[in-house]
Amino acid sequence: MSLKRQELIAGLTMTGPWVLGLLTLTLYPFAASLWWSFCEYDLLGQPRWVGGSNYARLARDISTGGQFWQALGNTAYYAVASVLLSVLVGVSLATLLSQTIRGRTLMRTLCFLPAVVPTVAAAVLWMWLLDPQAGLVNKALTTLELPAQNWFRGTSAAAWPTSWPTDAGGRVFGSKDGLVLMSVWGIGNLLVIYLAAIGDVPRALYEAAEIDGASPWRKFLHVTLPMLTPVIFFNVVMGLIQSVQAFTDVYLVSDGQGDPAGATMTVSLYLFLTAFKDLDMGYASAMAWLLFVIVAMATWWLFRTSRKWVHQ
Amino acid sequence: MSTVEPRSPKPEARGRLALLFTLSLLLFGCQPVSETASQPEEVIFWHFWGGEDRPIVEQIVVDFNASQQQYRVRAIAMPGNNLDLKFFLSVAGGDPPDLLNHDEPVIADWAHRDVLLPLGEMATPEELDRLNDWLFPAAKQLGSYDGKLYALANGLDIRALYCNQTMLEEHSLPLPRTIADLDRIAETIAPPGQQEYQRMGFLPNPDRLWAWGVVFGGTFWNPAASETRSMITADDPKNVAALEWMAGYSQRYGPSVVSSFRSGEQALTGTSFLMLADRRYAVMMDGQWRLRDLAAARDTGAGGLAVQGEEDTPQDKFTVVPLPPPPGGVKNAGWVNGNSFIVPKNSKCPQGAWEFMKFWSGLDNEARAAQACADGGWIPVSHEVVNQPAYQQALRDEPLLNVFVELASSENQHPTPPLPVAAYYLQQVKRAAQNVMFREGTATPEAVLHGAAERVRLRLEEVLHEE
Amino acid sequence: MKSNAMNDNHETSSNIAGKVLVVLATALFAIPLVWMVLTSLKTPEQIANAPYSWWPSPLRWENYREAVSAMPFLRYLVNTLVLCLGSVAGTLFSCTLAAYAFARLRFPGRNLLFAVLIATMLLPWQVTMAPRFLLIRELGLYDSLGALIAPTFLGNAFYIFLLRQFFLTIPQDMIEAARMDGASELGILWRIALPLARPALATVALLQFVAAWNNYGGPLLYLNDPQHFPLAYGLERFVSSHSTQTHLLMAAAVLFTLPIVAAFFLAQRLFLRGIATTGLKG
Repeated sequence: MSLKRQELIAGLTMTGPWVLGLLTLTLYPFAASLWWSFCEYDLLGQPRWVGGSNYARLARDISTGGQFWQALGNTAYYAVASVLLSVLVGVSLATLLSQTIRGRTLMRTLCFLPAVVPTVAAAVLWMWLLDPQAGLVNKALTTLELPAQNWFRGTSAAAWPTSWPTDAGGRVFGSKDGLVLMSVWGIGNLLVIYLAAIGDVPRALYEAAEIDGASPWRKFLHVTLPMLTPVIFFNVVMGLIQSVQAFTDVYLVSDGQGDPAGATMTVSLYLFLTAFKDLDMGYASAMAWLLFVIVAMATWWLFRTSRKWVHQ
Repeated sequence: MSTVEPRSPKPEARGRLALLFTLSLLLFGCQPVSETASQPEEVIFWHFWGGEDRPIVEQIVVDFNASQQQYRVRAIAMPGNNLDLKFFLSVAGGDPPDLLNHDEPVIADWAHRDVLLPLGEMATPEELDRLNDWLFPAAKQLGSYDGKLYALANGLDIRALYCNQTMLEEHSLPLPRTIADLDRIAETIAPPGQQEYQRMGFLPNPDRLWAWGVVFGGTFWNPAASETRSMITADDPKNVAALEWMAGYSQRYGPSVVSSFRSGEQALTGTSFLMLADRRYAVMMDGQWRLRDLAAARDTGAGGLAVQGEEDTPQDKFTVVPLPPPPGGVKNAGWVNGNSFIVPKNSKCPQGAWEFMKFWSGLDNEARAAQACADGGWIPVSHEVVNQPAYQQALRDEPLLNVFVELASSENQHPTPPLPVAAYYLQQVKRAAQNVMFREGTATPEAVLHGAAERVRLRLEEVLHEE
Repeated sequence: MKSNAMNDNHETSSNIAGKVLVVLATALFAIPLVWMVLTSLKTPEQIANAPYSWWPSPLRWENYREAVSAMPFLRYLVNTLVLCLGSVAGTLFSCTLAAYAFARLRFPGRNLLFAVLIATMLLPWQVTMAPRFLLIRELGLYDSLGALIAPTFLGNAFYIFLLRQFFLTIPQDMIEAARMDGASELGILWRIALPLARPALATVALLQFVAAWNNYGGPLLYLNDPQHFPLAYGLERFVSSHSTQTHLLMAAAVLFTLPIVAAFFLAQRLFLRGIATTGLKG
């Protein structure tokens, strides 16, 4: 048996369980929702074929700057901000937590724990902390003589930088930024992944760098960072996919309706309301598939450009 | 996989099957085949009650099960959202629960999709007749769709104005009896034009345009309309006038101040009642459930000034008044919501479900229902329950509850219009009002309400004409 | 000599900066946690009347007793543990195999399959939930913990992708050398890739454990009998639109979070061992 044949058989066996899952549990739901996107379907009766009219509705909404279009904008803002911050905070915090320092285990645990706090409890906590009138964060800001922010309540479409100089009273950050902050607090899962990746960097590489007299910063830049790029890439791709679908915290913080004035209405929330409150599953499916195409294109672009910067 | 997709052959056939099914149930009930077996029939009951209400609900279930041998209710609780999702899936899977308790305007939407049993299927004509006189008008509206009762309400959510009397007296202000009073309270306690505000006299909440529109004499629904489009009346000039009045606050204080003060009323931070917390408001609209917080504050000597560390100063006094109308407006008006029982079409034991909902709501059983309402601080759905000794005692213990009960019996309390687009309608109007109050910009009340009405009209036409 | 001394100085100062930074960052992450613990000891009256005060006065330890006795705690705990351990086993089994194949084997159709893998994550659950539910039902898994555990044996795109990224960093020559020695692919995975990827496996196990621990929506959809419900379900009982019992919610949340601290300590020892082994072999 040739090596190639052997590899083919091994490949198919090893991916077997997943392929079985794909065929049994994933394929049908995908096909069904694609079918619904061409139907009027209220979840309680039978789907009725209406051709492309759901997509025509979407096109009308987008061309008139309607509610779906606004939701797309909110989603893009949230996704970009939270992915960028998660890479920045994730890499730097994990690097810091990998130092030899007393109490390291405790600090790692504390930084990880927020990811475990149940979302309901986390949402209650953050709505207290970020209360615009009396919350701890704004109190801290005013103590430092910085302007208080309208966390969770601001409506500006893009909180900054557009409104930076103009908004009254220096209220720069808005509701979506509150959500981004909450997502960064719950970065624990990512932190664990980065910590494991740093643990995976062969020690010999550091030893070689030390012999060359590299400073910690240079070691980070030339050893740690390149070796982390596969995981950073994972972070970016999964961060994009997951932040686009973020739902529970958005739902809780926005009173389940994208408050205030639709400023936190993300596509995922809009989809939910359309499907399960308005009983308009056909239209919701069309939204989902449009979102699918957009995220797929973004992901494809990320994979294509990854060859230039991801260590292989 | 083909065994999954088709759930039933054809709608008409399904309808016939359901009819056959219900007929057989009416004939045989869901009694056990043999009397001696005495195995009680199980009623699977899904509800959303949590927090302090959960133990009270659990007690009602225990009491019902002990009160008779025929049925046994098995309750499963989950938050409202999960309730919806689980319900849809159970309908698709063909085995819905036997009974649901819900607190969102889903009845028209679901009844229109033919997945609910009208109460007439379970209740005798005599019971149905009696219900008609027994229920408060608001409770009746809450459960009706297309001229039929599809749900039995078991509690009403009534909103009124909570007033910090001490704060008002400090500024020599009267209780708000007119819209002008409210405006004066707001401007006296928080004169507009400041950079920062510590407290507010009053701020209208855009989500409550549903109440203020009615107070201003507007309607959101014309049941008598000849064509589908004109059923939706969100852009009624009186509703526009109400929103213009509300928007005035946003113009005086600025949208970002208005939106940041609003944050206290959001569902989750609603865990604390900001009237009590830091005197943030002198007057605030909220529901009867806040009386519980007031009572707790009275018991512990907290509230108002006392919390701020000046232990000698007396506690603030609070009172409740109905929403004050403008000249030519409507008295005792507002938007009402509530909890209702619904029975899914394929319920395996509708008769048991009916017995339990009567038990909880209090038809035939007013004394027990009154006790539950008194325990939970809930508003009953009928005068008969209110008049029971247990509830009369609750009214004596908490005199402010009287205001809410009186409002509950008013003809001018309206729920979200019972149209098969109710949830969409509710949300579109809230969002329109929020756009006016929370965003900088030129959107006028008239334009946003017209826009919302048009969107809902379009959707309603789709829904009503799709068959 | 001189430059060496300077270098040392530079190192210590940046070391100190690093240490100060990490302590500050940890403090920022911990503040909401501290708030959570403090709130779990407050009376409901204090939360209602002085929501922005820090210190509980008086301390109310009963919150913990009440939170636990409000639900069949032990039963929920057992269900949760079954759910967690079962799904961790399933995930490690199915995802390790697939990830290794995607990372280290070159078979026709691999890239296409990988693109499909990524694509399966792109459709929001809102539109796939109902058909998936009906499938699980047809498989006879409805209303049993199996509905939540069985699918983990069929792979999870997120973990496959994650493990693939880790397997990619294993030096190719080690694998080639083993192949030359005639080792089977399973043998290479077992004897070379897995020991090297131990930190990654510990990570996946931890993440799946936590995910199952926290999963609330899934059990509610797939289970009907309250006897099968997990701890996360018990937590929700304190929440209601008009009467959330924040003091009990926070106490329950603290209790709910604590066992994960233990799981984390355990997994962390595996990260450290991972470093040691890689260091020796690398």
